[in-house]
Amino acid sequence: MHLGLDDDELVACVACGLCLPHCPTFVITGRDTESPRGRIALMRAVQNEGAPVTDDLLRSMETCVQCRGCETACPSAVPFGHLMEGTRAALAGAGRITPRWQRLAMRMLRHRRLLLAGSTLLALTIRLRLVPTRRLGLPARMPLRRPPLRTSGDDVWLFTGCVMDAWQRDVHLAVQRVLEAAGVGVEPTGGAAPCCGALHIHAGLEAETKDMARQVMAGLSGDDRPILVDAAGCGASLKDYGHLLGTDEARAFSARVFDVHEWLAGRLDELKSRRPVEPLDVTVAVQDPCHLRHVQRAHQAVPAVLVPFVASVVALDDDGLCCGAGGAYSVMEAELSRAIRDRKTAAVARSGATVVASANPGCSLHLAAAGLDVRHPLELVDQALSASG
Amino acid sequence: MARTLAAATRRVLGSRRRGDRAAAAPAAGAADAALVADLVEAIGADRVRADAAARYLASRDASIYKEGNAGPVCYPGTTSDVVACVKVATRHGRAVSPRGAGTGLSGGAAPLGRPVVLSTTRMDRLLEIDLDNGVAWVQPGMVNLDLTRALAPHGVHYAPDPSSQAACTIGGNVGNNAGGPHCLAYGVTSAHVAAVEVVLSDGSVVTLGDLTAEPAGYDLRGAFVGSEGMCGIATAVAVRLTRNPPAVRTMLLSFDDVSDAATTVSAIIAAGIVPAAIEMMDQRCVRAVEDFAQAGYPKEAAAVLLVEVDGAAGGVAIAADRVAGIARRNQAVSVRTAADDGERARLWKGRKSAFGAVANVMPDYYLHDTVVPRTRLVEVLERIYDIVDRHDLLVLNVFHAGDGNLHPILAYDSRVPGAEERVHAAGREIIEMSLDMGGALTGEHGIGVEKREYMDRMFSPVDLDQQSRLRASFDPHCRMNPGKVLPSAHSCSDIGALKAADAAGVWG
Repeated sequence: MHLGLDDDELVACVACGLCLPHCPTFVITGRDTESPRGRIALMRAVQNEGAPVTDDLLRSMETCVQCRGCETACPSAVPFGHLMEGTRAALAGAGRITPRWQRLAMRMLRHRRLLLAGSTLLALTIRLRLVPTRRLGLPARMPLRRPPLRTSGDDVWLFTGCVMDAWQRDVHLAVQRVLEAAGVGVEPTGGAAPCCGALHIHAGLEAETKDMARQVMAGLSGDDRPILVDAAGCGASLKDYGHLLGTDEARAFSARVFDVHEWLAGRLDELKSRRPVEPLDVTVAVQDPCHLRHVQRAHQAVPAVLVPFVASVVALDDDGLCCGAGGAYSVMEAELSRAIRDRKTAAVARSGATVVASANPGCSLHLAAAGLDVRHPLELVDQALSASG
Repeated sequence: MARTLAAATRRVLGSRRRGDRAAAAPAAGAADAALVADLVEAIGADRVRADAAARYLASRDASIYKEGNAGPVCYPGTTSDVVACVKVATRHGRAVSPRGAGTGLSGGAAPLGRPVVLSTTRMDRLLEIDLDNGVAWVQPGMVNLDLTRALAPHGVHYAPDPSSQAACTIGGNVGNNAGGPHCLAYGVTSAHVAAVEVVLSDGSVVTLGDLTAEPAGYDLRGAFVGSEGMCGIATAVAVRLTRNPPAVRTMLLSFDDVSDAATTVSAIIAAGIVPAAIEMMDQRCVRAVEDFAQAGYPKEAAAVLLVEVDGAAGGVAIAADRVAGIARRNQAVSVRTAADDGERARLWKGRKSAFGAVANVMPDYYLHDTVVPRTRLVEVLERIYDIVDRHDLLVLNVFHAGDGNLHPILAYDSRVPGAEERVHAAGREIIEMSLDMGGALTGEHGIGVEKREYMDRMFSPVDLDQQSRLRASFDPHCRMNPGKVLPSAHSCSDIGALKAADAAGVWG
């Protein structure tokens, strides 16, 4: 089976193995089939040597969290993310991965009203204890009501997305208050850009993702305002539109996208000068979302933004290893996902921190489900600002 | 019980297409069903994999050797798991090949004759830190760098630091008697292993060496370290702990001429200085690594030396000044000292990612690991560039200059017809030339299968026969990692063990 992978990208791995300690699934299983180097060798076997696509090969591909920790570890800069996305697109296209129910669920993310209504219904059933939240990896409590999004100016867009807007709108509002405190007028994207398509591309639904990318770009066209993103996964996805669609327009769009911390890090003085701030009396461990650290490579902006606003920021000692959330991964591969998370919770425990700051909703839900007190970094900043206000 | 076991075995053998079971071809590896069933019974279904994908990947290491053929792959967690696997394999007349992280460069971990592969990745625990005796007991699957990190709070480290130390395992290091940049001053693995617990081919467990300074009797520990898995499987290793030096200084010297760099190396040693490390990279290598490491390596230099001196602060300062002086007298164009630990780490990261960075130049590489007398480095390097030019190939030179351990990386694209043949021809010439200069076949990567055919170029039949007899005293039936190191004429019944192999396609 030809996987449609670029041959030059595919042969770029020399199998040195330096990715192994940075792969969450290899670290847990110790098996080459669950390693980046092994997965690439299997892709080659299938595409170049005519090896059959067996169930075990599918498992090898499906167990990848797509954290891309292997990319920052690779001295030869093998674009593993593209190879894995391409492989999944080919396998999903052939109906070998991503079952129909998953495709249907993902289709819903594009339909904002349906998603919001469905989320409210889900929140209600959780309150009534009709849903085994722990087993399904769902949050123990979800909002029944969402305060409305509001526009305060036209300096920047704040990308609100799908699930995050439905489940964690409080975070968007906190981020917006922080931006406003820095003197920035914010317009939330809301219905103009319903979903970035990150989960879809990870599941191999390439055509659908392209469709969604065009929809988002159309919704945010007409000016060149920066598009700020407070979810690392969405930010990485929006920044990749240039590569995904391969058009000048898409590249120009991607150039407008910034992780909100990345953008604020250059404007900290502005934020601090507005009013004196008393740092919050908490020790915060920063969890680097993989799509901020390995894909956007902007993770250092988070501690930079946090430091003035909290008593202490501590780094985790686990080399930024993935937490196992991986978007839909925590549901699809629950067992592995939790084993990976156990390493992260152990690292948090070693750090002595009481609060974990995570700049990605998937990671934050996943870690909160393990009993950690997880906040978005800018929620902490917002809290410090409002306490000092 | 029997039914669950049968189900577990089927699961382990695996590999049928979902929803298409009737039409599926027989599961790959079905010939091993009885063996797999016994392995599953011995150590549990979650520790055995026999499907095509798992065996395909267990058949290779980081070398270009792709002819390995793995049987079932086991992931033991304890010494008794290893014993159980060895006994099952023996009962089925099958050999056993150990595997660490698969970062080896000589095909040493590539299994021959479809043996049971024992992957040590789940034997990765630090068992005990014994500061009184200056050792730590570790399981063989522990990653080299993880060990040093775990030791950091005690102010000690594990000295041998192969370039692949972030991924490679202590077991593999012991098997290959691995080196590393800092082995110039501190010695290679053999000097840092006090004792090894080994499972022999009959399933018995012995401890070779002990923690005393002068163990009585034969140095079986010394014989075992570097035996490439052919004498038994290491299941626990007592590694020596080295105190962290109070002061370290890392210098980057750059040159417009490769010969000046090589001359500087000899001059430093001749001056009586023994740096912790002297590493050399030529221009092509620097260019390959710098984009990744962002360490500030000068891309325009013809060659750079990375020199590290350590010890007491006063002595380090003096040694560093002397090294800088020697370099300048030998036409160094710049001498830079790492300002802090961050810069030092970036410089080492660049050096240690050299092999992995080759794909920035070409998608495949083949390298040799010969050792030449340091005094002849200048001449040897000229010869290497000449050989490579004649075969119309690219070479990246990166090596442990202080001890004359070369790593000429022949970079090529295996998709180009004839490239592989030219690479092997050039490799052969480099080896012959190195041996003619009074050098050795391998410094630290091992012989494996790749360099096996050159053994009789270096050793006489008598030498080889003695090596073979030593091996046979550990493993009389050649059941442990057969087919490695010794040329076939000298390797007891390896040939018999290898005959168990059957024809294998892509998915074996």
